[in-house]
Amino acid sequence: MNVSARLFGGLSGSQRLFLRRYGPIFAVYGFIVVLIIIGATQSERFLTARNLTNVARQSAFLGIVALGQMLVILTAGIDLSVGSLVKVSILVSAIIMNGESSNLFVAIVATLGLGVLVGLIHGFLINELRIAPFIVTLASMVILRGIGLSISTSPVGKASREFIMFYVQKIGPVPIIAFMFAVMLVLTALLLRYTVFGKYLFAIGGNEEVAHLSGVPVKLARYGVYVICSVTASITGLLWLSRMGVGDPAIGDGIELQTITAVIIGGTSLFGGRASVAGTLGGVLLLGVTANLLVMLGVNQFIQGLIQGIIIVAAVAIYKQEGD
Amino acid sequence: MSEYILEMLNISKSFAGVHALKDVSMRCKPGKIYGLVGENGAGKSTLMKILAGAYKADAGEIIYKGEQREGASAGEVIDSGISIIYQELALVPQMSVAENIFLGREPRYALGLLNLKELHQGAAELLARLGISLDTRLPVRELTVAQRQLVEIAKALSQNADLIVMDEPSAILAGSELDQLFSIIESLVVQGVTIIYISHRLDEVFRIADEVTVLKDGELVDTRPIDQLDRSTLVELMVGRPLDEIFPQTEHEQGQLLLVAENISTETILEDASLELYEGEILGIAGMVGSGRTELARALFGADPLTSGQITLAGAKGASWINPAQAIASGLVLVPEDRKSHGLFTSLSVRINVTLPILSRLTRFGVLQSLAEDEIVAEAKERLSIVMASADQEAQYLSGGNQQKVVLAKWLETDPAIVILDEPTRGVDVGAKFEIYKLMRQLNDRGIAIVMISSELPEVIGMSDRILVMNDGRIVGEVAQEEATEAGIIELATMADAGAEPS
Repeated sequence: MNVSARLFGGLSGSQRLFLRRYGPIFAVYGFIVVLIIIGATQSERFLTARNLTNVARQSAFLGIVALGQMLVILTAGIDLSVGSLVKVSILVSAIIMNGESSNLFVAIVATLGLGVLVGLIHGFLINELRIAPFIVTLASMVILRGIGLSISTSPVGKASREFIMFYVQKIGPVPIIAFMFAVMLVLTALLLRYTVFGKYLFAIGGNEEVAHLSGVPVKLARYGVYVICSVTASITGLLWLSRMGVGDPAIGDGIELQTITAVIIGGTSLFGGRASVAGTLGGVLLLGVTANLLVMLGVNQFIQGLIQGIIIVAAVAIYKQEGD
Repeated sequence: MSEYILEMLNISKSFAGVHALKDVSMRCKPGKIYGLVGENGAGKSTLMKILAGAYKADAGEIIYKGEQREGASAGEVIDSGISIIYQELALVPQMSVAENIFLGREPRYALGLLNLKELHQGAAELLARLGISLDTRLPVRELTVAQRQLVEIAKALSQNADLIVMDEPSAILAGSELDQLFSIIESLVVQGVTIIYISHRLDEVFRIADEVTVLKDGELVDTRPIDQLDRSTLVELMVGRPLDEIFPQTEHEQGQLLLVAENISTETILEDASLELYEGEILGIAGMVGSGRTELARALFGADPLTSGQITLAGAKGASWINPAQAIASGLVLVPEDRKSHGLFTSLSVRINVTLPILSRLTRFGVLQSLAEDEIVAEAKERLSIVMASADQEAQYLSGGNQQKVVLAKWLETDPAIVILDEPTRGVDVGAKFEIYKLMRQLNDRGIAIVMISSELPEVIGMSDRILVMNDGRIVGEVAQEEATEAGIIELATMADAGAEPS
């Protein structure tokens, strides 16, 4: 055997690679299937169209932000502020809309603009002042929550009539919100696979110094990813307004942790450089189906938290076994 | 346009008031190979980082292709045709071969959409130019170190580089991989590419360089054509003092049998390895990267569980172990290959690094006796001549040689009977190498047995009393120092069908 054959033989196992990379994701989906079977056998209401529509909508609410969160975590960052931003977004949009159809456009643009602004500020603090993403977004989580609660502690503003209708609309049997989530899933998958920006996110998370030395516009990409993440939170704020009809300041709390949980269950590494849209979808669905099933089965909500915690640990343990 | 492709003139750079470079100049003609040598901390890497646009020089000018360059960014430098292959390979492990090669310059359609077809085709073509075939979709973390290096070179080629700087490219390659690298370098030079080759291995510099520039303590010592230099002159220029003997020898008889490993295998490629180790000797382990050397060390140390065979301490004790803690307790220590990830806490102080394994001995009623700690660190500093600002200095700010000494100091505190050194002088400069060799002999004099794994054959041959050659996970031969030649070892190490007849 010559030298190069020695060096480069034995690495053709792309199937082995495939299994190692996607095995844990199959495990997540397998677990979802198990939950669905439990649900179908233990509860009459679980497999009804009404309940499945609910699960789809709820998953979409979490999933849209989880996609933004996944992109940030892919760059070895984190965004703790998304929950608070959802809260401020629902309040701001409700107040501007104030029940009038004529304000609809302004309210949407202003809310999305708010997301862009918050994302730019995050990017600035991380890029230019070199503050760790955890600190930056922890601060803005607290600040945005403070702003939200100082706007109002009781429901304010009002959605316009057609905006409320948006929530219940369906395309065929699919709620339009779930459809939106599906479109965003596909777009994110395409972004990661087929765009230069997507590759830059992998590179930054994989090794920022290398990315920099290779001429990757690291700062620009980071501005981009934090803006995208904040905008997903603003969109979710708008969707909550569509659902609630009013600006409810109780909305938004805890979304940051749920999204991080979903992303981790989906196999994205908190250290960056690895991410999977299919995995994140699995994480979102697993959380959604679990929560729904526990309610259906009448399980105490404190025990729900316990079970979710166990799921996180189990998921990460599986990745540790089969990853790397 | 001048005859030079690159002129770096009177470059100075200081960090926080300390001179890293002082008035250094270097000129390169197209299609030539320039060796850049000097001890660690001599300023080679700083000079190259200035060239790369990663640092900005305080004074001096860079004239590239006849034009004076002003504050170029890393991306602009790459676009101008300068590629730098860093010592710590600059690849993103999670990304594929092709993505790494074209990182920052991906072939694209409008709107930032990737042209995946061209990405992989282009990568395959570049690799073919280097005479290698590799699945361009494979993530880089699946590759061997040698393969990664070739990917780096392909990346440089993809940047249409006219000037390629290689920072210690050979530090991680064994014999035949090195030949491959050199033939690639030669073919690049024929194509008119200029190479700046940074290496600690002077043999390589003599083998390929046309001209050698020597730096010491941030200053230019000399630039000379290679044919006006010999090895000892070059070493003297680098360390600033003559080295009488590179490999210190001691006279000693074969001591008592210390350790016996019988037919050990692990879940790694290691298969059916047997060896004996005697008091006060150095047992060298040679073989190519990936031949099972490191796996053998890990098995001896109890880091990988044995699937068959056994390891025992000879003599009355007859102890055996199944994990590193027990191995350490039995008097065996392993100084691992990659000191940054396995041997050293880079962000912690020298003090903690040295005393960590014996902290429990330094406490009274659970309270650390810092005086005792200081004493131990001071003694280690003295004995190993570690150059450091203070015991509280973070290990990451020490030079490679001094880091290695700290790692050694740490394990010597446990008073071992057997020390396994995996690549003890990798990335260490000539002067520090010599000190490490001397230290190894001192350990021998105390009766300590050393197992040394090294990719540098001159080192293995120069230092070892006996040499075991590994190939494909098996020990394929034993050579005594007197009979050892580089050619003979390479032949054993690269023989096909290695496992057939372990001799």
